[in-house]
Amino acid sequence: MMTAHSSSLLTVEALEQSFGGVMALAGVSFQTPEKLVYAIIGPNGAGKTTLFNVLCGFYSPTAGALRFDGHELRGLPPHRIAALGIARTFQNLQLFFNMTVLENVMVGCHLRAKTGLLSAALRLPRVRREERQLRAWAAEALELCGLSDRAGQLAGALPYGLMKRVEIARALAAKPRLLLLDEPAAGLNDTETMALRDLIARIHATGVTILLVEHHMPLVMSIADRLLVLDYGSVLAEGPPVEIQANPRVIAAYLGGAVQYAV
Amino acid sequence: MRLAGFFVFAVAVILLPILFPDNYFVTVVGIAAGLHVILAVGLNLLMGYAGQISLGHAAFFGMGGYASAILTTRWEWPGWLAMLAGLLVAGTIAWLLARPILRLRGHYLAMATLGFGVIIHVLMVQATEWTGGPDGLGNIPPLNLLGWTVDSDRQWYWVIAVAMLLVIGLSLNLVDSRIGRALRAVRSAELAAQMMGIDTARAKTQVFVVSALFAAFAGSLFAHQQAFVSPDSFSLMISVELVTMVVLGGMASTFGAACGAIALTLLHEGLVVFEDYEMLIHGALLMAVMIFLPQGLFVGLTQGVHRGWTWIASRRGAKEPHHPAVS
Amino acid sequence: MPEQIFQFLVTGITVGAIYALVGLGFALIYNASDVVNFAQGEFVMLGAMTAIALLGAGLPLVLAAIAATLLTALVGLLLERCAIEPARGASVVTTIIITIGAAIFLRGVASLLWGKNSLPFPAFSGNEPIHLGGATLLPQSLWVLGGAVLLVSLTRAFLNRTLLGKALLACSFNPVAAQLVGINVKVMLRLAYGLSAGLGAIAGILAAPITFSSYEAGIMLGLKGFSAAIVGGIGNPMGAVAGGLLLGVLEALGAGLISSGYKDAIAFVFVLMVLFFEPTGLFGHKVAERV
Repeated sequence: MMTAHSSSLLTVEALEQSFGGVMALAGVSFQTPEKLVYAIIGPNGAGKTTLFNVLCGFYSPTAGALRFDGHELRGLPPHRIAALGIARTFQNLQLFFNMTVLENVMVGCHLRAKTGLLSAALRLPRVRREERQLRAWAAEALELCGLSDRAGQLAGALPYGLMKRVEIARALAAKPRLLLLDEPAAGLNDTETMALRDLIARIHATGVTILLVEHHMPLVMSIADRLLVLDYGSVLAEGPPVEIQANPRVIAAYLGGAVQYAV
Repeated sequence: MRLAGFFVFAVAVILLPILFPDNYFVTVVGIAAGLHVILAVGLNLLMGYAGQISLGHAAFFGMGGYASAILTTRWEWPGWLAMLAGLLVAGTIAWLLARPILRLRGHYLAMATLGFGVIIHVLMVQATEWTGGPDGLGNIPPLNLLGWTVDSDRQWYWVIAVAMLLVIGLSLNLVDSRIGRALRAVRSAELAAQMMGIDTARAKTQVFVVSALFAAFAGSLFAHQQAFVSPDSFSLMISVELVTMVVLGGMASTFGAACGAIALTLLHEGLVVFEDYEMLIHGALLMAVMIFLPQGLFVGLTQGVHRGWTWIASRRGAKEPHHPAVS
Repeated sequence: MPEQIFQFLVTGITVGAIYALVGLGFALIYNASDVVNFAQGEFVMLGAMTAIALLGAGLPLVLAAIAATLLTALVGLLLERCAIEPARGASVVTTIIITIGAAIFLRGVASLLWGKNSLPFPAFSGNEPIHLGGATLLPQSLWVLGGAVLLVSLTRAFLNRTLLGKALLACSFNPVAAQLVGINVKVMLRLAYGLSAGLGAIAGILAAPITFSSYEAGIMLGLKGFSAAIVGGIGNPMGAVAGGLLLGVLEALGAGLISSGYKDAIAFVFVLMVLFFEPTGLFGHKVAERV
């Protein structure tokens, strides 16, 4: 099953993460091929968000290896990992609530700009040029996420569903090669979820590889190219949606309960 | 918006001495207010925008003051060179201190910055052969700028006004830039900021150094203007007053900090008559503002107006923002 | 030289006992409410100044001391009710500034009531120095030490043995759960402020004959108490006591061996070192900062 894909963007090998003896991740291995939508599913507490946090450098793993495009991620701080081309959204919103939507997304462009402290304080002509460029980039991301008309509003004043979109727009503004979406559909109603599905498809069409953690099975099954199923910190199954849906171990783990979907 | 506010402020600063020539309040109090504005605007970058409290900021103010005092009286350096040296000293110390001290949060950071302030203050009092001890250092020569000697209150008013507008301008530019947005992001949701590629430790270090430089700059000007420095001007109480100015006006607003500085300066002037009650009123004011208007007078009021406006504009059942937490 | 060191130790422990009591007050309030009370030193000052005033008004020492302690405890309670409670849920910076405001306010009240001069307080049992193996100490030092031992043991027993004390600790650990099991968190908070103000007041009264007192005597004492709490691991009451003693001894040694003028700087350099390298305190058990 673990045959190396020639175009694997992210390779996770025997990843272990324990918190004071509790194994949140017990030897997880998988590969994410480039330009796919790769979904990670599993019951609550299976270790999905922990996996994201390890990937982003918030936790340092107990054992294992994480390679992104040939770079070892282990031991790198989050901002260095971001610089390699990884962006993410958060399960619990981590917006800059007291900044406008546009400013939030402009922060997303942080790594694409160079303005330093001194030139910013003096507002040199090249800083003005760069600001215009950042605004254009941010506007692009807002446009893609359908937030153009909200640019000037305070992020904290938006309805919940739109806040989640701002998070996606902010992550996109970084022009990542790998986008991690942590439960983007949580808390959304059906209409919003449908719109989210379209958004993910549009993002995918721009050539971004997407790693998706999600509970909403219809969404996952309709958009993911491959799935990884985690249970108690271990890999239960890995493969394309059709295989996963037919996998007896997966069905057993979910007890039939959550897997009520029709493709 | 940014420019409009700046011009209104600048015009007010220029008009005051023209409308009220040789007025004690305008020249003498104006000078004190201007210095306070420089200090508060700098501290606000650290406290308001980066969210890091400092209860020891008078130390950097003092470093600038004593650098100018010692270098110009003892070695007869020209004022501008002594000022540069003061900036260098304060900036270097802030830079060295920033990483270990800004790793701390909340009460720990408050204690550490406070302790730093006390240590520097003790040095000012005790290192008598350098600082003149508790009596301070006098006879600081007037500041000489390209052959122009600043030696009257009115001239000082203009020098301080220019310095203050410069600092406000720099601060406004900085806040509304890539660096400023990064700072505000760090304060608002540190994890997300890191994930956007912001080196949070570096961002905090930078702003700590900048606010120390502003304070040292004010210190140098203060030393020349007063022609005298003593430890009393850089004590813990001064650090507390600087924090008061920032929170009084409203954190995370350059003009808020400036207004807070001016308001507190005027209050001190006004309370001279009730000297005995000054502490009482100062303390009560601090508590009242923090309890009833934790966002500060300036920000609280302007935001109130703004809120009302947007509330009317978009009265759609917006959900409360979820509390950001580590996911 | 060894005799001198012994003398410094004796002095240091006396001063440290005062710091320990102030630090204990800090820890109590922090435990109950997660607030660091920058007005703690003002409780010490209020205790001493009120006692001096009552003594001057003709009350006998014991009565003056008791009344001053009760009055200061009342001030602590009022502080919680009028300034801390209305700002519940405020950020750390906000509460720090509120308590600093309270400290300045109380200082202002004290300067109005009792002027700005340093006032003396008669020693409880004379000024005849006691010689102790080469070191001398004032009888008042014994009062300070004895008082500190007694108060610390009482507080410890209160926190560990009584239901009320345990409830007090539960409040900060999890206020919601505390409320659920029927602990009235509001009352607990007021109790914590009252107790800690009372502790501060007694410390102030015990120390006043040695240090005298003035409206601004609380500033440094408060800061040293806070330092003691941090050195000991903030929120750990007995850690604060140990931290206070350590700080006192260190200061006395620094003052004796290096220079008395630098003793405050020495204390704070030590505190900074602790914060940089062991921010949870030297004797800390509690989590450093709850995010």
